[in-house]
Amino acid sequence: MKISRVRQRVMHRLQLRESWVIFFVLGIIMLNFPFLHIFNKSDTLFGFPLLFLYFTLGWAFSIFVIYLFTLASRQPTDNHSKTLQP
Amino acid sequence: MNTGLASAALISLLYTLLIFLVALYAHHRKVSGRSIVNNPYIYSLSIAVYCTSWTFYGSVGRAATTGIDFLMIYLGPSLTAFSWIFILRRMVQISKENNITSIADFISLRYGKSPWLGALVTLIAILGIMPYIALQIKAVSTSFYLISGFKGDIISLPSSGSELSIPTGLMLALILSIFSVMFGARRLVSSERHEGLVAAVAFESLVKLISLLGVGIFVTYQLFDGFSDIFTRFQTLYPEKFNQLFTLGASSGGPAAIPSFTMLFLSMGAIMLLPRQFHVMVIENSDERHITKAMWLFPVYLFLINLFIMPIALGGILSTGSSTGADFFVISVPLTTGHSGIAVLAFLGGLSAAAGMVIVESVAISTMLLNHIFMPIIVRFTPQAWFPLLLINLKRLGIFLVIFLGYFYYLVVGDSFMLVNMGMISFSAAAQFLPAMLGALYWRRGNKAGAITGILLGFLTWLYTLLIPSFSHSGWISKELLSSGPFGIGLLKPTAMFGLNGMDLWSHSLFWSMLFNIGGYIICSILLRQDEAEREQIRRYIGVFELERAYRVTETKRLSKPVTIAQFVSLMAKFIGEDEAQRAIESYRGNRELDADGNVSEFELPNLKRFTEKSLAGSVGAAAAGAIVDSFLSDMGSRMESVYDIFSNVRTSLDQSRESLFVRLKASEIINRTLDLQIIMDDLLTLLLKEFKLDAAIIQLRDENGLCGVRSYQGSNRRPINEQHWFMESRPYCEMTLADRKAHFINDTKQAPPGQFPRTIAEGIVSCAHIPIMREGEPPLGVMSVFSTSISGMFTEEFISLLSSLTGQFAQAVTIVREIEAREHERVQKEQALLKNARVMRDMEIAQQIQLSFLPESAPELPGIDMGGRCISAAHVGGDYYDFFRRDEHTIDLLIADVSGHSVGAALVMSEVRTLLRAQFNSTHNASSVLQSLNRQLYDDLTRAELFITMFYAKYNATTDRLSYANAGHNHPLICRKGESACIELDAEGLILGVKQSVVFQERTIKLQKGDVLLFYTDGLTEATSPAGEMFENGRVCSHLGSVAHLPVQEIIDSFYQAVTDFTESPILQDDVSIVVLKIL
Repeated sequence: MKISRVRQRVMHRLQLRESWVIFFVLGIIMLNFPFLHIFNKSDTLFGFPLLFLYFTLGWAFSIFVIYLFTLASRQPTDNHSKTLQP
Repeated sequence: MNTGLASAALISLLYTLLIFLVALYAHHRKVSGRSIVNNPYIYSLSIAVYCTSWTFYGSVGRAATTGIDFLMIYLGPSLTAFSWIFILRRMVQISKENNITSIADFISLRYGKSPWLGALVTLIAILGIMPYIALQIKAVSTSFYLISGFKGDIISLPSSGSELSIPTGLMLALILSIFSVMFGARRLVSSERHEGLVAAVAFESLVKLISLLGVGIFVTYQLFDGFSDIFTRFQTLYPEKFNQLFTLGASSGGPAAIPSFTMLFLSMGAIMLLPRQFHVMVIENSDERHITKAMWLFPVYLFLINLFIMPIALGGILSTGSSTGADFFVISVPLTTGHSGIAVLAFLGGLSAAAGMVIVESVAISTMLLNHIFMPIIVRFTPQAWFPLLLINLKRLGIFLVIFLGYFYYLVVGDSFMLVNMGMISFSAAAQFLPAMLGALYWRRGNKAGAITGILLGFLTWLYTLLIPSFSHSGWISKELLSSGPFGIGLLKPTAMFGLNGMDLWSHSLFWSMLFNIGGYIICSILLRQDEAEREQIRRYIGVFELERAYRVTETKRLSKPVTIAQFVSLMAKFIGEDEAQRAIESYRGNRELDADGNVSEFELPNLKRFTEKSLAGSVGAAAAGAIVDSFLSDMGSRMESVYDIFSNVRTSLDQSRESLFVRLKASEIINRTLDLQIIMDDLLTLLLKEFKLDAAIIQLRDENGLCGVRSYQGSNRRPINEQHWFMESRPYCEMTLADRKAHFINDTKQAPPGQFPRTIAEGIVSCAHIPIMREGEPPLGVMSVFSTSISGMFTEEFISLLSSLTGQFAQAVTIVREIEAREHERVQKEQALLKNARVMRDMEIAQQIQLSFLPESAPELPGIDMGGRCISAAHVGGDYYDFFRRDEHTIDLLIADVSGHSVGAALVMSEVRTLLRAQFNSTHNASSVLQSLNRQLYDDLTRAELFITMFYAKYNATTDRLSYANAGHNHPLICRKGESACIELDAEGLILGVKQSVVFQERTIKLQKGDVLLFYTDGLTEATSPAGEMFENGRVCSHLGSVAHLPVQEIIDSFYQAVTDFTESPILQDDVSIVVLKIL
């Protein structure tokens, strides 16, 4: 009951054009200097190089986010907010 | 260990055949209507044409030499995928709507179909893609050497004595070219989707993914013990190298180092802007809904294909001991470890990657080449029947050209570059489209001048800072240019422009080219204006999505001379072939209204023209299609011209402008102000002349007989309308308007058949319109004609409908005014009739008075008799007459007559009779001769007046008691004699007066006795009718006479009148009744 309501709210937020822009900009930031600098070390974590892990997991996560967005865009939209339909 | 030349060649051949079969199958499925390509998975796989042999071989090479930053090339597109739902979808919609064939088409169409822009984009694409194709050729040739174990650049075949030497690269280029032609240039229509091509590309994408995953799993889990095993081993063996590969920026310093941001930026642009990417993502898109799924499927593909790159690279270094030849670890590692099966799989993957890219790229660019380089030249010639053949072969030639340019670059630059670095040159070139592309979609002000300037500047910078230096490695360009700049000017060094030192080649080039590109684009866009064609396109690129169809887009163009559908078809046939042209026009005709000749209305023509352009654009590109149609129209003597915008540019949200509403309001004010039609007409025409800058306006209205006459004529240069007036030439149009109740207009009198309007044209009139004045569903009341001497093409659909609504309002007013007039007229007529009637009545009353005064006031006194008479007229004047003449003491004449009819004429005749009788009374003595002479004298008058007279004439002598009498057809007088129950009727032979000229009247005599009562009467008495329809009759007269015979004469008369009114039950007599009574005392 509670989970489905949360899910609905998340989906609703993801339908906003602003959410897309935010995530897009966030992606660019994550792939640039300050963030890369944090992981730009030759340390390893569980035997994996830190940067390799960051890229791989971050990438997988970003794909998951896009997947969520595409799910949301198929949901019925309400007309009160600017929706995804271009 | 390797497979040998023959088997490597055989494997390649078999694999090629397989791909070809896949393509054929897809094509077959498409023809039978069950497409296998039409789904998001194939779409995503086809986008993966992004992964070329660069990905396949180069990534490993880069991973082994500079480290993990190769991932940027894939993270960029993955990030861009976020925006696809906005940008890509919009691009697909626009492309489908306009039959876009390539990225050059897309950009040039947005900026007013500029042929220069299209050519520029094409040029950049060809030059920019050169290194990229060279990369593929290099990769495939090298991998072929590796797999076949064959060393050297050429394959030598023993051939009849001498050796035939063929370079492998050339062979490859040739094979790829033929392949591309087969897949992509079988038909001319480029906007149509190539399902076979897409299927082949998708299949190849699948093969390269499986192949790379296979090699990755083999290396990771077969040669080593999983990811951490490789990482740990590598870290222990090469700790320094490990640090370098797994951190960014550690290896920088050399010109080969590319900062991660530059790679990210370039790849983000490249995924959308490379011609082949645009082709598979936009042109080959079958359904825009596929985009949503591809948004995450394509990143997943990239993720998977890159998952094992790092392990393969590290594994390669571990197993070969160094990073030399790292570009081909994918093949060499399995080979050196003795797994040739895996190596062949890897080889096929690499072959797929290269072939897919080259085919799509060459097809996409050859389309651009044909549409933007060849077509602008071809359209200058008159279309010929063999044009379709020429065009398709030019396209094929383009494919060869593109691939062989790549081969040429490979020959020149060859091995001096790593794969990735060659690819980056192409990415930089594609990035030059970015500002113009984004501006096309989102910036309304972006204009043609800006786009051309920006792209040109960016391209030149790219050429100078990146492409030319790339040749220097091969020694083509002197090293001095790079080290000390042109002519020794250090500031212009291609690698350090304006003294910008310390940047790598790509970042340096990207920075300057983007600076000039974006700067040029923005500055020119802001400073210069957009032309008409551009503004129209902006509405399609940007306007379509904002406020979609919120207001009706009004037609702003017209063709100055109408062109028929057949003419457009024959034009299209010359470029795309007869069949295609017919098919296209069928689809156009489908849902449109055509007139009797199979043509469209004048308002529809611009749409037809646009449709023709769009159909042609599918084959030759929008810019060329525009040029073809324009030159065709100008040959026809027709052209597109702006519709004179009657309503200016201010439009309200409805399809009416403020001006239109204002005119309507004014017109209804005029119409409602007065009932005087003349004022309404004059004011209405003056309003039209003033508001619409017309020069003459005429209203004709039909009169009661249906004849049209000019009722109002307003204008500057008026002359009386006669047969010589120029307006007479428009008469046929007015009649046509009246007949078919439609508005007729001529938007350009000069285009009319010569001799039709000589005087009108001489008057300077260039356009005119005739609008019927009528209410809905009623016959037209007239025609309103308006003329303009200044603006041709002013009569748009909108304007005509405005004028029609005004004439409709006016027709309403005319109808109302006419109804009021008719009612007024009727009232006046009735009044006059009443007045006339009253006058006649009065005259009649006077006549009656006179007539009554003709009758004797009282009977003459005679001893022994009592006499009396009375006449009561039924209505006004009548024709009854009686009279007495006393001849002497004892003799008296008495007569009773009835003139037929009750007119004044009868009364006049009666007075004539009276006059005549009075005149001859002394000369004639007996009754018959009186009647005889009377008949003779009256005959002419009576015949002329068509009247008759009945008359009874009697003469009584008191001394003899004898009554002599004659009768001219009158009712027989009755005698009531004492002791006799029946009455005696007095009868004598004789005709009615006025029938024959000479008549002989019988004269008879009767002796009267004392107490006899004689009754003379007219037929009004006997013919008096009761309500039951019964007549009074002789019998009743006789019996009544009997019953009143004892009374005095006056009372007898009274009692008769009483009896008649009682009988008829009405106080008013139906006919004159005259009674004369004579009583012998």
